[in-house]
Amino acid sequence: MARILSRPIEPVEEPEPSSYDNADPLGIRIGTPTRIDRLRHLGVDTQVGTIWLGTWGLLSAFLFAAGASVVVLSALDQVGGSPWLMVKYFANLNLVPPDGLGLAHSLRNGGYWQITLVFWAGSTVAWAARCFERLARHRWRPFLLFAWLSAILLTACIWVFHPLIVGSWSDAPALGLNSDLQWAQNFSVLWGNLYFNPWHQLAIFFLLGSTMLWGMHGATILATGSESSHHEDAEIKNMSSGSQKAALFWRWTMGFNAFPKSIHDYLWWFAVGTVLASAIGILTTGVITRDWYVWGVDHGTVAQYGPITREAINEYPRPMPPLSAPGGYVPAPAR
Amino acid sequence: MADLEFLEFESAYRKPGNTLFALLLGDDPFDFWVGRYYVGFFGVVSLVTIALGVTILFVAVGQYGDWDLLRAVVPSPDRSVGLGWAPFLHGGAWQSVVILATASFVAWGLREVDICRKLEMGFHIPAMFSLAISAWVILQIVRPLLMGCWCEGFDLGFTGHLTWVSNTGFKYMNFYDNPFHAYAVLGFFLTAMLLAMHGSAILGTYNTHRDPTVEMRREDSFWRDYVGYSIGEYGIHRLGFYLAVYTLVMSDLCILTSGTLVQDWVDFWHPF
Repeated sequence: MARILSRPIEPVEEPEPSSYDNADPLGIRIGTPTRIDRLRHLGVDTQVGTIWLGTWGLLSAFLFAAGASVVVLSALDQVGGSPWLMVKYFANLNLVPPDGLGLAHSLRNGGYWQITLVFWAGSTVAWAARCFERLARHRWRPFLLFAWLSAILLTACIWVFHPLIVGSWSDAPALGLNSDLQWAQNFSVLWGNLYFNPWHQLAIFFLLGSTMLWGMHGATILATGSESSHHEDAEIKNMSSGSQKAALFWRWTMGFNAFPKSIHDYLWWFAVGTVLASAIGILTTGVITRDWYVWGVDHGTVAQYGPITREAINEYPRPMPPLSAPGGYVPAPAR
Repeated sequence: MADLEFLEFESAYRKPGNTLFALLLGDDPFDFWVGRYYVGFFGVVSLVTIALGVTILFVAVGQYGDWDLLRAVVPSPDRSVGLGWAPFLHGGAWQSVVILATASFVAWGLREVDICRKLEMGFHIPAMFSLAISAWVILQIVRPLLMGCWCEGFDLGFTGHLTWVSNTGFKYMNFYDNPFHAYAVLGFFLTAMLLAMHGSAILGTYNTHRDPTVEMRREDSFWRDYVGYSIGEYGIHRLGFYLAVYTLVMSDLCILTSGTLVQDWVDFWHPF
């Protein structure tokens, strides 16, 4: 491994010329390849740089920075222009979406949110163009582009399609650290408990499965990496002892094994399946049903434990004192 | 059992000996394969506990009389039982299944250790599997012990465990305000993203007609163009492995702290 990680700095491999080469006036590689030897202790490649600039990359970075500046402007606006207060309360500051489907009437009531999202939507699409252009240049099959597009599809469902369907931008998340978490809870409760949305359940299956597959694949390759199972392109062509051990391990353990190529099919589809299932879950919310809990009761996916009684409520999470007891609830005197 | 050789290296490693049980007691009576499956002492332990547990599941569900795949459930004991033994149909079946399942998971992990020893490879897979077991043990054993009641474990059943997840989230007011939950979700999302990137890199470049070192350099040069850094074909597996470890540890902390140290995750952020 040490030999692999200490190989000399490599210039970027020039693949066969493509029609994208001369069309881009900003098509240059910036920076100098630098070796950071300390990274060797982490077991990762030590060369940092260069990076391709490109018109689409520059546009994407510019639009991202523009959106981020609007976020900072809005945050400053919310704390009366004090940079210190902005830093102090940053987790609780947010850019709220407007009510209804039109343009916001003012910056503070949805205008900041709309401007930022237009910039950031443009940024992600420009990044997709950069992805396409680089994939074409390096002659990759377009798996990475499809994965990125499905991620864009999910964000579009959350921030655009679902609000369009239910008739208000305010159903989309506000931009902010805490408001993000509050949106997740509120959205779930607003539509009657998203846990019982079957697409949400399928998405969680894929998401937890993705982590499990990283655990399995990562562990398998690390355990056999000393016999070069990590040279996966070479292993697909001709399996070394490392890959054979990896295959034998799973075959002996659970009677089934993947191969150096097929494992990456599973990995890719689990990751992409996560976002696709999530996108369907968001699109069906408010369309198939207004209340996923009721939908779950109707379709038998909610466990029924008998009637909810006062005694049952008192058990959780802490016993509630009787209303008349000292320290119990005392109604405010009538005015 | 006679079996065709699967890969050219199989006959070199498919031999008795070098198991954990033999290391401790000198001889492993079950050191053989059945078809493609390795058995071993821990395989037998795992098989017996699985068979017992599944039998108990079926007997209990048969007594409850509801064979609907969604509704069938073996519930955890009643709150009044506390940490004691419950009658069979009122949580005793759940207690037996949890004990047997835990024994089975641990035996399965030790069987993986045996297979690793036979193949002379690293122990990363059983190590990762033991972290996955830790999530089960914390959910079903450690946290109920800390809370003083077996009723804190989740019911064994399709809708049973889904509804438990929903109820537990709301019981502590807002689970999204649980910082460990947030860190764990971040880890889950990052593993999915890295998985898509790694899968795309391999599926996008492999070419069985060319010198594979060309493809390796093509991956490096793409990532350097795209984001300015290529972590390398060994490094990406290290990153994915440790990201999965991080996610599991955060998930463990997430459920371990809820109800034991913190009753209300909204209140948690406003201590004074």
